[in-house]
Amino acid sequence: MKKQITKYYPLIPVYAAYLILFLIGVNVEGMWQLVAMLLFYCALGQAFNIFLGMTGYVDFGYVAFMGVGTYGMALAITRLVGFQGLGLGIIVIGFFLALVMSSLLSVAVGAVALRLRGAYFAIATIGVNEGFRFLIEGAKIWNGTEGMIFTAELNRILGREAASALSTFWADVMVLVIAALAAFVTLFYMRSKIGYALTALREDEDAAKVMGINVTKFKIIAFITSSGFAGLIGATSWALKTPYVFPPEVFEIHYTIEAIIIVLLGGAGTLLGPVIGGLIYGISKYYLSIFMPGFQLLIFAPIIIVIIIMFPEGVVGMLKNRLKGTALGRFII
Amino acid sequence: MFSEQLIGNLIQGLVLGTIYGMATMGLSLIFGVLKVVNVGHGAFIMVGAFVTLFLFNALGLNPILAIPVAFIIGMALGYLFYYTTIKRLIKAPELATLLATFAIGVLLEEVIKLIFGSEFRGYNWAVGKVSLGITVLPLSKLYACAGSIIIAVLLYLWFNKTRAGSAMRSVVEDSEGARVCGVNVSGTYALSFALGIGLTMASGVLLTMFIPVGINPYMGGGYTLKAFVIAVLGGLASPYGAFFGGLVFGLLENGSYTIFALIPGVEPFALTRFFSFVMLLIILLIRPTGLLSRK
Repeated sequence: MKKQITKYYPLIPVYAAYLILFLIGVNVEGMWQLVAMLLFYCALGQAFNIFLGMTGYVDFGYVAFMGVGTYGMALAITRLVGFQGLGLGIIVIGFFLALVMSSLLSVAVGAVALRLRGAYFAIATIGVNEGFRFLIEGAKIWNGTEGMIFTAELNRILGREAASALSTFWADVMVLVIAALAAFVTLFYMRSKIGYALTALREDEDAAKVMGINVTKFKIIAFITSSGFAGLIGATSWALKTPYVFPPEVFEIHYTIEAIIIVLLGGAGTLLGPVIGGLIYGISKYYLSIFMPGFQLLIFAPIIIVIIIMFPEGVVGMLKNRLKGTALGRFII
Repeated sequence: MFSEQLIGNLIQGLVLGTIYGMATMGLSLIFGVLKVVNVGHGAFIMVGAFVTLFLFNALGLNPILAIPVAFIIGMALGYLFYYTTIKRLIKAPELATLLATFAIGVLLEEVIKLIFGSEFRGYNWAVGKVSLGITVLPLSKLYACAGSIIIAVLLYLWFNKTRAGSAMRSVVEDSEGARVCGVNVSGTYALSFALGIGLTMASGVLLTMFIPVGINPYMGGGYTLKAFVIAVLGGLASPYGAFFGGLVFGLLENGSYTIFALIPGVEPFALTRFFSFVMLLIILLIRPTGLLSRK
């Protein structure tokens, strides 16, 4: 039993960080906006890490799953608005739909793209993301290019005040819950057969296969899990927080890049990494946009290059190696 | 009527296809030799376009003369980025080079934005046009088409007739084997990257000769994606494959646009893009070595 508990020690620093972030946001005047942004980036990193960090496969079209999740919530709200009796239930259905749609897409994409490796996989996933976006725009699915704006529907379902509280506070809390869940799932995978199989596959896929590991199965598990979380993040951070959805925005490749940067900054494949990466990335982005508006990318791009060259294992990756074997080492993985 | 329009569009597509092909050779060359996907590819095309724009507007220089200028600047940038960044990441997992080349692309976009601003620009190089009966082609487009073919032929000769070219081919086949045979592999890596970037920037000039408007710092993203599709059509690792991939892509793009435009209630432009990505996935799945490969 004791062993069971010590297994989950590494969650303590992760949850402590989220708790401190939350308390700062609630108690310090004017900080909630920054905290909300940081929670989004931490959640994004935590979710993406399950696939990118654990398998080493680079999904360049990750944002597609967030986009599809956003559509899931948008569809639930716009189509069920007539059923007033459902109330909050519509939001619950929206989450369910976001999860199902992003998971279904990930099954379809995974079955096709996960046969490819390395650069071919990266290019295929970009293709899926762009292809899906242009299918929606071209065939005018779900209003095509015009997208959907559902502020009025959300107000009708929840009432104006509750809807505004949802978009300014409760949606961010939900993102926090999603991030915490993703962290738990990450650790659960790490400590189970799935994690060991994925480690073997990340180091040498052919060797893992020869050893009798069903690599495809474990890749797909990590892919679906990671994509499902992406769908949930889209449904909250995008659909509930800003009640509209436009295809060029929710399939914007920059979000994938941001997710990659966060995972890499913190340390790919570590549990605490996405939190640290999300905090560093979010805080520097926020303050750069205040103090040097318009120059963020100009400053960011060379820094990213330097980090990739000098610290490829990320902040937590380095810490982990330093602390290995010490008492602290048990908490940081 | 429809068949005339289709043929006219296909001719335009073929001309554009030579430029598409040319604009993808650099990407395939770099992937073939270094196994690095240059996600910042389109940004280099954009820089080439700005070189043309600047030379034309500020110095009144003929866009044809901008081709060698852009090529040389591109070679220099290629060496710069190779020795500062790519060289240190060649042995790292793909993630590192994917992100690094993306960051290089962003850096170029932001620097150009700082210098030229972010509004859309264009230039007007009036050299007349030729009528082919069905469709009218401005001469500037034909020059661009001819330029692409000449550059592709030069590259082919250089690959097959020079020592450096055969060294490069040997590294594509087997870099360890080439090293054993005394090929300077790291020098070949640097040269290939520089040459790839030089070709890409030169293609930026040719693209503005075809489409002399809409030049702005963020124009490259769409070309990166198109280049991926074209490179995959050609087998990703072969510059000539890429050139023919460009021809196929130009034809398919214009042909499918003409057909989608007949369907009521859809956006033909977006469907064309959708179609190209479906093609990308199908080819990656059934023939990852490209349409032209014999294997």
